[in-house]
Amino acid sequence: MNVEELKSIKIDKSVDARGTSCPGPLLAAKKAIGQIEKGQVMEVLSADEGTKRDIPKWCNKKGFEYLGTIEESGFYRILLRK
Amino acid sequence: MANKKMTLALFSGSVDKLTAAGVILGGAAAEDMDVEIFVLLQAAFAFKKENAQVNDRVAEITDKKDEFLASLKRLNAPHWTEAFRTAKEMTNVKIHICGFAGKVWHGEKIDDFIDLADDIVGIGEYITAAEESDVNLFI
Repeated sequence: MNVEELKSIKIDKSVDARGTSCPGPLLAAKKAIGQIEKGQVMEVLSADEGTKRDIPKWCNKKGFEYLGTIEESGFYRILLRK
Repeated sequence: MANKKMTLALFSGSVDKLTAAGVILGGAAAEDMDVEIFVLLQAAFAFKKENAQVNDRVAEITDKKDEFLASLKRLNAPHWTEAFRTAKEMTNVKIHICGFAGKVWHGEKIDDFIDLADDIVGIGEYITAAEESDVNLFI
């Protein structure tokens, strides 16, 4: 999925974890995933470089669909579908 | 599917290593691992009620202690006790104080330690848990 396609996806829940360092964004994602339904899309905002590799691995283990990462200025938008 | 299991032999009582342990616990919590922590000698000192919030000891790169502690603040990193607490809230984490270690630091009862600690055990429990775990760490 390219960046334009990623940007066009409807976001059901946004989690802003930019104020935290590792493992803060991952834990924020874990907390928030319980608040959405299967099939819904969540984005995690993280300024932590490691998170953009952690979230795809976490999705793979937990059975969520990692959709992709959008690089913004100074942070990442990491998208996944429950 | 059963949760994966992690055991952690936590020896260190210094804030740098306890912080690292807290980060690893966060990763384990994100993955719903069952974690058993065995608080050994110097860590039992840090788990005493009167010591847990004292941040004046680092184990490594000791000449950079001030920079290290300042960076934790700059990065908004939680104190290790808070990282441990978050992990306990998010997954199944049991914290066992080694009975011998407790006595070394004049801690005889579970009430002598911060409320994160669940019980006081002998080393046999650690060996049994480590045998059954998927990941076993010594910090």
